[in-house]
Amino acid sequence: MKKLKPVHAIFLLSTFGVVSLGVAPLFRPLEIVTPAEAASIPKIGDLSSYRKIVVDTASMVEKGDLVRAKIRIKDLEISWDEAEPSLKPRSPAEWHTIDKAIDRALSNLRASDPDAAACNQSLSELLQLMDVAGGKP
Amino acid sequence: MNHLTSGKTAAMLNKVPAVTRTFWIIKIMSTTVGETGADFLAVHVGLGTAMTGGIMVVLLIAGLLVQLRMRRYLPWIYWLTVVLVSVVGTQITDALTDRLDISLFVSTGVFALLLATTFAIWYWRERTLSIHTIVTTRRELFYWAAILFTFALGTAAGDLATESLNLGFNLGVMVFSAALVAVMAAYYMGVNAVLTFWLAYILTRPLGASLGDLLSQSRANGGAGLGTIQTSVVFLVVIVSLVALLSLANRGPKLKAEIVNGDK
Repeated sequence: MKKLKPVHAIFLLSTFGVVSLGVAPLFRPLEIVTPAEAASIPKIGDLSSYRKIVVDTASMVEKGDLVRAKIRIKDLEISWDEAEPSLKPRSPAEWHTIDKAIDRALSNLRASDPDAAACNQSLSELLQLMDVAGGKP
Repeated sequence: MNHLTSGKTAAMLNKVPAVTRTFWIIKIMSTTVGETGADFLAVHVGLGTAMTGGIMVVLLIAGLLVQLRMRRYLPWIYWLTVVLVSVVGTQITDALTDRLDISLFVSTGVFALLLATTFAIWYWRERTLSIHTIVTTRRELFYWAAILFTFALGTAAGDLATESLNLGFNLGVMVFSAALVAVMAAYYMGVNAVLTFWLAYILTRPLGASLGDLLSQSRANGGAGLGTIQTSVVFLVVIVSLVALLSLANRGPKLKAEIVNGDK
């Protein structure tokens, strides 16, 4: 049996933990996208397919069809979730901002008594964030 | 191994498997299946993350209770428990990041410290961290606690690499494989076995995740385009086959009834 020095393992892990905690305050990801950058190829990748779903959903809400809007936005939830490993590393801060906005839109549309105005509001905010990150199609 | 001769412990054989190539293959693949399985329930089935998390915790507790009651290592329940620990460990980190907005640096640091603390208490109580003598329930609880924290730490550290270094899955597969090869080399050069085993255990978490992504992501994004469901099914089939093979190889005279899906 090999000679075990568990103290080393414990020490190494603790050091790693402390270093990680120590540098935590230095990294508050804040990425500002300038309009010039947004106009060129978007850093996060092609968002047009997600944008289209948001536009569809918003127009259903506009017509007062919250039931179909709720069904349509599930397409966004699934496709956005599927592409996470591809999109997130390219622009983590933007990805998180959009992800949160999608969560808000989802919970508004899935409320037991959905409020059309709130749905509209969260969808237009989402659209705006996508346009900033992905450039208008 | 004179531990085995001391009273109570003599009734129990080592409860966890030897570390072989098959061990690592199953471990890496179960990581992927665990994550995509939980994702599938949360998003496609529409249960939501909170509900899925609750279900997984209940399943883990049930699986762990069955595993703890066994008197020896049985592949199917051991690996089922690993998959469930993998899911729950990942979900803990995700919940901290997505729901509570805790920085990945903080969660990586905290889980590293929790893991170190687990090892420290384990060593202090047992005077060994050997995974070849998991012969008492207390040691086994230390073992599973350590495994839970390695999954949580592996998720946090892997996501941290993804986000702070913009490490996509293509590069991720290479970087994490290289790190794993380095750990393997260190082991063969005589660096202590406990340290290298647990380091490899942590590293295989992000490696399994990026490997799964590489297969499942669309071709346009640099993946193989298999899709998450297909990738998970392929991995699940491989895992079940390997576990079935292990079960057959592991079959003792009294255990015939307990073999699951043993092909004839």
